[in-house]
Amino acid sequence: MNLNMNSVETLVAQIHGLSGSISDINQLHSLLKQSEDLFQSESTRLAPLLTELDPFMHSLGYLYILDACTSAPISKEQASELVLSIARFINLCAAEQIRLAPDKFTSVCKRFKDQVMLLEDPMQGVAPMLTAIRKLQLSSEHLTTLHPDFLLFCLLAKCYKPGLSILEDDIFDVDQPRDFFLYCYYGGMICIGQKKFSKALELLHNVVTAPMSILNAIVVEAYKKYILVSLIHVGQFSISFPKYTSSVAQRNLKNFSQPYLELANSYGAGKISELELCVQAHNEKFEFDKNLGLVKQVVSCMYKRNIQRLTQTYLTLSLQDIANTVQLNSAKEAEMHVLQMIQDGEIYATINQKDGMVRFLEDPEQYKTCEMIERIDSSIQRIMMLSRKLTDMDEQLSCDPLYLAKVSL
Amino acid sequence: MASSSSSGLTFKLHPLVILNISDHYTRIKAQSQPPPTSSAVNDAVSSPPPPRVFGCVIGVQRGRTVEIFNSFELLYDSSTHTLDRAFLENKQELYKKVFPHFYVLGWYSTGGDAQESDMHIHKALMDINESPIYVLLNPSINHAQKDLPITIYESELHVIDGIPQLIFVQSSYIIETVEAERISVDHVAHLKPSDGGSAATQLAAHLTGIHSAIKMLNSRIRVLHHYLLAMQKGDLPCQNSLLRQVSSLLRRLPAIESEKFQDDFLMEYNDTLLITYLAMFTNCSSTMNEMVDKFNTAYDRHSRRGGRSAFI
Repeated sequence: MNLNMNSVETLVAQIHGLSGSISDINQLHSLLKQSEDLFQSESTRLAPLLTELDPFMHSLGYLYILDACTSAPISKEQASELVLSIARFINLCAAEQIRLAPDKFTSVCKRFKDQVMLLEDPMQGVAPMLTAIRKLQLSSEHLTTLHPDFLLFCLLAKCYKPGLSILEDDIFDVDQPRDFFLYCYYGGMICIGQKKFSKALELLHNVVTAPMSILNAIVVEAYKKYILVSLIHVGQFSISFPKYTSSVAQRNLKNFSQPYLELANSYGAGKISELELCVQAHNEKFEFDKNLGLVKQVVSCMYKRNIQRLTQTYLTLSLQDIANTVQLNSAKEAEMHVLQMIQDGEIYATINQKDGMVRFLEDPEQYKTCEMIERIDSSIQRIMMLSRKLTDMDEQLSCDPLYLAKVSL
Repeated sequence: MASSSSSGLTFKLHPLVILNISDHYTRIKAQSQPPPTSSAVNDAVSSPPPPRVFGCVIGVQRGRTVEIFNSFELLYDSSTHTLDRAFLENKQELYKKVFPHFYVLGWYSTGGDAQESDMHIHKALMDINESPIYVLLNPSINHAQKDLPITIYESELHVIDGIPQLIFVQSSYIIETVEAERISVDHVAHLKPSDGGSAATQLAAHLTGIHSAIKMLNSRIRVLHHYLLAMQKGDLPCQNSLLRQVSSLLRRLPAIESEKFQDDFLMEYNDTLLITYLAMFTNCSSTMNEMVDKFNTAYDRHSRRGGRSAFI
């Protein structure tokens, strides 16, 4: 035992000594990899060593020791301390050093997540997890294993803004497919919570159409939400899948979401009463999937959809007529609905309160301002970059041996 | 050969003459030898010397101004070092019928420099025109040279070593164009060697032209800006005349300032941007479509393979 402790002490001394330049760090890394078993055997006694090391200068060594410390079972009292110390490490560590041992860092963060969940205080986990992601990522387009955990924290803590900031980055590199599924699913939920339905639709669409060889539960749940969000945002839902959906999903998803498809059908018919009947019929199912809130939003969206359809037929309409066509109870309710829609920017109209007439207007955007030029210009830049990436991927696929084998048959 | 003429004549050269000479030369060169390979072009030793072509220039002389309008080709007899006289007179008759005012002003040839043998030809023409002009075109392409590779020589009697001799002296000239000539020169200048026919390459060529023009404008403005900065810092002495010129240049733009112009201009600008955006979208979508097809063929286990079945 003492011999082991001595060798651990020498290792600590080496950590101190070899944390200077890049070549030293590489050497240190190989040394640490060799002494993994040593760390594992001494895991209970390593905690005091951590105080000797500086998390920024000796991040790599600190990481290894921390990993060994946390692999042992932790009691509840130690949990909060541990959470604080890991959070401190994450905030202070040096990104280049920890990128040398990404799986160790990921496992430390996973244990951090477990402890935070144990403590039932997800708010503590949000900020450190965000820093951890930023340090682990090779670029802002890289999806790490920590992304879904971070989004889970945001959801549980109801702290959506940092989650949204992460969701704004476009993803091009994915480590593990499971991370991708979870990330998009949680991301979709956060966007629904923030009422950013278009982004939610995009994320859920990604989950449903992602390549997969067998169906998994995340996709099934995502598909249900996808139907509902599509009804809210677009007003219709098409049953056919785009051609890049995996055949597994195409064949099996419909079996799991029957009630939702019926809801979509009755929505398409356009009658509020039918829709409400349908909702009543499948109430328990919706509640079981925790989608009842979304379903209620779908019903209220029906009114909006009908009023929008009126703008395409009429130029002016009285509030009473609107109420009758849309099956609202009174002109007052119709006025409130129309007012809300004008404020949200969903229609362009003016309400004349004297005679209760609503006049529908055209989109006042004239496309002659400088801001519009900047918007279009930035969109063009984005799409040029995307186009370049696509061409690269296309070329890579053309050289893929699997593809060549199938084409040349 | 002296450097400048002292006869005081002004020469006006029409671009048609230049085009004719260059066309004649190119034709003869292409017909006489097989097209040189790319290696042979660089190796000056192995390729034969470029052929010389000869012809006559015709035009009008009014007072002190000599205007060269047109030219025609002549056969050169290298054994006797003379031009084909009969042909020349025949041609002269024909041209007289169409252009009664024109008469033979001189002759042309190609090459790097005027040679001694040219003097024979020059003297032979002296009986048609007492002071003929010799137009020389240098066919070697020199990218560094900005001016036209054309020189006009006159003959003058100089006393060299006690012997009066006719030698060639260079004269300056200006280019004169008629409207029709301007259009054709413009057309020739924009001809591309490869297929300039399809709309895409024409658009690309047009936009490239605009782009290089704007780039040049930008670099020149930058030079001016740099100069003005240096003047402001005090590195260079202040030159008021230059400052006045720059100021007048700046006042030329913007040409129109009204609000209606702004609106229309921005709307058109936005329209062009939207069209570019749409084009990029289409491009991206088509790449995406191909990629998805490839992906499905490669990775999706049960996708249809479009016509390949086990029964074939």
